[in-house]
Amino acid sequence: MAVWALQFTPRVTILEDAVLMEVEASVRLFGGKRALRDRVVAEAEELGVAQAAWAPTGLAALALARCGIENGFKKPLQERLDKLPMGCLSAVREHEVTLAQTGCRTLSDVRRLPRGGLSRRFGKLMLLALDQAYGQVTESYRWEILPDTFKAKLELGFRVEHAPALLQGARRLLVQMCGWLCASHCGTTAFTLKWWHDAMRPRDAGDSGQLTVGTAQPSRDIEHLCRLLAEHLAKVTLLAPAGDLELTADVVHDLAGTNASLLPDAVEDGESLELVLERMAARLGPQAVKRCVVCEDHRQEWVAHWQPVGAPMPRKAASTTELPQPTWVLREPIKLAVRKDRPFYQGELQLLAGPQCIEGGWWDRDEAAGHGRNIVRDYWLAESEHAGLLWIFKARLDDGIGWFLHGVFG
Amino acid sequence: MPFPSPGSDTASPSSRLPSPLQNAVSGVHEPLPARVEAALWRGHQLGGPVDESLSTGFAALDAVLPGGGWPCGSLTEILVPQFSVVELRLLLPVLGALTTARRAVALVGPPMDPHIPGLRHDCIHERHLIWSDVDTPKDRLWSTEQLVRSRKCGAVVAWLPHVRAENVRRLQVLASQCTGPVILCRPNSAARDASAAPLRLLARYETDWQIAIDVLKRKGPPLDEQLHLLSFPGGVQKIMTPRLRYYSRLRHRPSHVVVSTAAAAVHHRSEAPETSEH
Repeated sequence: MAVWALQFTPRVTILEDAVLMEVEASVRLFGGKRALRDRVVAEAEELGVAQAAWAPTGLAALALARCGIENGFKKPLQERLDKLPMGCLSAVREHEVTLAQTGCRTLSDVRRLPRGGLSRRFGKLMLLALDQAYGQVTESYRWEILPDTFKAKLELGFRVEHAPALLQGARRLLVQMCGWLCASHCGTTAFTLKWWHDAMRPRDAGDSGQLTVGTAQPSRDIEHLCRLLAEHLAKVTLLAPAGDLELTADVVHDLAGTNASLLPDAVEDGESLELVLERMAARLGPQAVKRCVVCEDHRQEWVAHWQPVGAPMPRKAASTTELPQPTWVLREPIKLAVRKDRPFYQGELQLLAGPQCIEGGWWDRDEAAGHGRNIVRDYWLAESEHAGLLWIFKARLDDGIGWFLHGVFG
Repeated sequence: MPFPSPGSDTASPSSRLPSPLQNAVSGVHEPLPARVEAALWRGHQLGGPVDESLSTGFAALDAVLPGGGWPCGSLTEILVPQFSVVELRLLLPVLGALTTARRAVALVGPPMDPHIPGLRHDCIHERHLIWSDVDTPKDRLWSTEQLVRSRKCGAVVAWLPHVRAENVRRLQVLASQCTGPVILCRPNSAARDASAAPLRLLARYETDWQIAIDVLKRKGPPLDEQLHLLSFPGGVQKIMTPRLRYYSRLRHRPSHVVVSTAAAAVHHRSEAPETSEH
């Protein structure tokens, strides 16, 4: 929780059962008090925070939070605090019973008692706490320091049997991780979600399972990481119900924040294309979203190599032939029927232009299949009345000459 | 309501009403103020305010489309009898222009593998071309939706052989946020069904490097005539000869028949000049 809070301000401390932030200096960075408050409250709610409150002093904020009051700036601080019951300041609560017997109900009643007597009877600490809450004495805290690595655990409130349902708990951890990344000005490219099975598991299930999610570019965007994790979790089957979660940031890179602009310029709305493609690849498999790299080869099967979008592209693209080439190709050439020495494909084909002779590949060998990739082909541009402009070739087979369809000018 | 019997009352209520003709444009044309004229849409014009459009690269097609090109931020359907025959030829100019401008172009579930050496003849740069190789109708729709929703694609071209009307409507709603055209390729059997796409074209293969286009639906009056667009895919224009340019004339020439006997060859030679005159 404190780690998450460090993204808003470096002055974070754990005060009794609460996390205290001093945000006065961060208000402008986050776009004003209202915007900062909305963001803190929204994210704190996801983390399971019971009550948020803010006030001019730390102890006053804690007292207001305990009483369920959020805003300590609406009225003067003294007026606010005076009405609160004694129990909301821990230093006063210790002596609540004794004070109640003297007729005190609220903090103002306690303050009205003579200071000398109070100090002798209950010790200096109570008076100090009261003065600090009212802003008459300065407060001093030991601020939290940002840890070097991120690792957070969460015990789920119930056993989870389906992997996608882990997301709810994992999101809470992700919010923490993104806070940590933000505070350390970093982005992650790989994080691991680990879950522990509960005691009632089958023997062969093992005691834990884990899932590592990678992204191409460093990111600390909660929504993106969450969607990415959701796509990966959708494919996971839990061997046994899970009870505990742990999230670690494995690979972390420096990532500067976006510069806020003075002028309202054309804002890039929506997420970037790379993020979308990454999510598509996460769901459909890496080979389902591809970009092409052209190789120096004149054999049609090997001139273009389609690689997953995340893979780096060569700086300089290879050149290709100036001669006509089809716009579509078939993965495997189709053997065409031949009647009276003429190829047929959805009707008789008429040869329009050619031949383009392609010969080569004696150096290339398919080790798995155990034969060479040498090809000797005469390519023709042919026309069919129904199938349009086709790219067919003639090749020598063991039993004569065969015609094959290899592409379409479409 | 009782109708007045004819002839019983000559001054029937309807005859007392002002004739609707008085609202018709009389011989004297009062010119409208320029401001009103600019904001006015007349029934015979190509209608519908299209915010932005990209030229199709075919002047004849641009002339009949509202906005003068493929509409951006809107759905366009291209219906074809058979996939991979003409639809990409129709789109090559716009895709080339977009990738040259470094805008990403996504192809979702194309019927065959795109072949970059052929596409390069139309200035399509492979760096900005994304191929989403998906097969099931669900994945096709999901991928299309994600790409459209991202608003970062210059154009999304999706092949959807099986898609329901409500999914098309959903895509049309999403497309309104997209900056580029969203083009769906569907089989021509879908022409009978209603669709939410504001622009629907039926494209057919035609001989002599042409594509026949029927505009099935557009904002504006229906278009009865068929368009014939000239398109040379894959750099064919570089080897174009007059004979190749009009290849339909070659089709029925007997010179292509394999002639076995000498007599037939003589017969064919005497006949050939006649046929070429046609």
